[in-house]
Amino acid sequence: MNNLTKYLSTDRLHCIVRRAAMPLMLAVLLVALCPCASAIPAKPVPERLVNDFAGIFTAEEALSLERALTAFDDSTSNQITVVTVNDLEGYAPAEYGTEIGERWGVGSGKFDNGIVVLVKPKTGDSRGQVNISVGYGLEGAIPDSYCKRIIETEMIPRFQENDYFGGTAAACSVLMKLASGEISEPREADSGGGPVILFLALAFIGFCIFIVIVASGGKGGNGGSGGGGYMDGDDFARGLIIGSILNGGRHSSGWGSSGGGFGGGFGGGSFGGFGGGSFGGGGASGSW
Amino acid sequence: MKKGTIVLIVVVVAIIGIFVWCKNSYNGMVKSDEEVNAAWSQVENVYQRRYDLIDNLVSTVKGYAEHEQSTLQGVIEARAKANQVKVDPDKLSAEDIARFQEAQGEFGQALSRLMVTYENYPELKANQNFLELQAELAGTENRIATERRKFNEAARAYNTKIRSFPTNILASMFGFETKGYFEADAQAATAPKVEF
Repeated sequence: MNNLTKYLSTDRLHCIVRRAAMPLMLAVLLVALCPCASAIPAKPVPERLVNDFAGIFTAEEALSLERALTAFDDSTSNQITVVTVNDLEGYAPAEYGTEIGERWGVGSGKFDNGIVVLVKPKTGDSRGQVNISVGYGLEGAIPDSYCKRIIETEMIPRFQENDYFGGTAAACSVLMKLASGEISEPREADSGGGPVILFLALAFIGFCIFIVIVASGGKGGNGGSGGGGYMDGDDFARGLIIGSILNGGRHSSGWGSSGGGFGGGFGGGSFGGFGGGSFGGGGASGSW
Repeated sequence: MKKGTIVLIVVVVAIIGIFVWCKNSYNGMVKSDEEVNAAWSQVENVYQRRYDLIDNLVSTVKGYAEHEQSTLQGVIEARAKANQVKVDPDKLSAEDIARFQEAQGEFGQALSRLMVTYENYPELKANQNFLELQAELAGTENRIATERRKFNEAARAYNTKIRSFPTNILASMFGFETKGYFEADAQAATAPKVEF
């Protein structure tokens, strides 16, 4: 006991405390520097495109915006999500918007064609802030200067008159026009869950039939031609996809609308979920 | 005889096990290494983007802000200096990245000094070309911040992998070296700007 107290004399205690303090301080500093995960809102459940955390839209406004954006997602696969918050938790608006895009995976993983429209309404003594973040795949179609112009001509003038819905809807409609000029791909063409499963199931059935034919001693030529037919179909689909990318917006009446019909039939008009798109910090911000 | 067979089987299984482990660890390290390289090339892309914007900016500003010749000269010099700093993309050592970051940081500061002067030139402020460049420049700074963050994440994953036991044995055998990180800028550390 005596030994212990001697061991833990004040000098030694100081030393121990000092030694422990350094890593502790570093840890605290690191925690302070790394923006906490909690500050960025978690992905909504169920996933939806209009996330009015600040409560600046009426229910009807949010619903009509959600419908328009979902239809746009179905027909072109470009995902525009609208997020409103009352506090940016110390983040710069661009950083906040980009983080939401990355964490939620807005846009498809294949095209990175997501857009985050972030609105922080003017409340009391804090300024209103707005940001448009553009995914990698749309940076060419929607350069930063376009975003800036949309913010300054479509959004801020309306926001100043408290018309949050009008400004956001106007911005979304311009963004839709710009985005569909770059990527106009029906929803089914990328990683939308249902059709992929359907395709896999068909492929599996085809594979079983192939095995049965081979196993039952059927002519090899039959199996071979089946395989060839399948490849042709795949190439055809690929050709269509590439064609629709090359043709861009002009093509949307044909291939795009047929895809839209499919999407409506399958999803019943509700949003199919974020696709894992990635963001590189493109876009612009503004404040009023 | 039977004992011999068992020993043989055990040895073969052990060899296969070690081979599979080595293969997986090695390929895992190669994959992480490639991810770091990809992240680095994105970092270089966005810095290059900023570099490319300057010609346009300088020629636009020159016509309006004739009193800012020294600031303009500062930007051009800092840019030339930043461009001289080359980083070996196979190594990406901490020193290399620190050097790169320092040179680019000086360039960034010279640039922001230039950008605050525009307030004094109402004609420049009204110039559409300048406004667009300003938006592109702001977007580029965001891109730089984003890609640096992504690079740090990739480098951290890679470093964790090659320094953890027992992969570290393989890593040192095959010469995998730790990568450096971008430090938070003195400016950036104060960045979360609170506006009232």
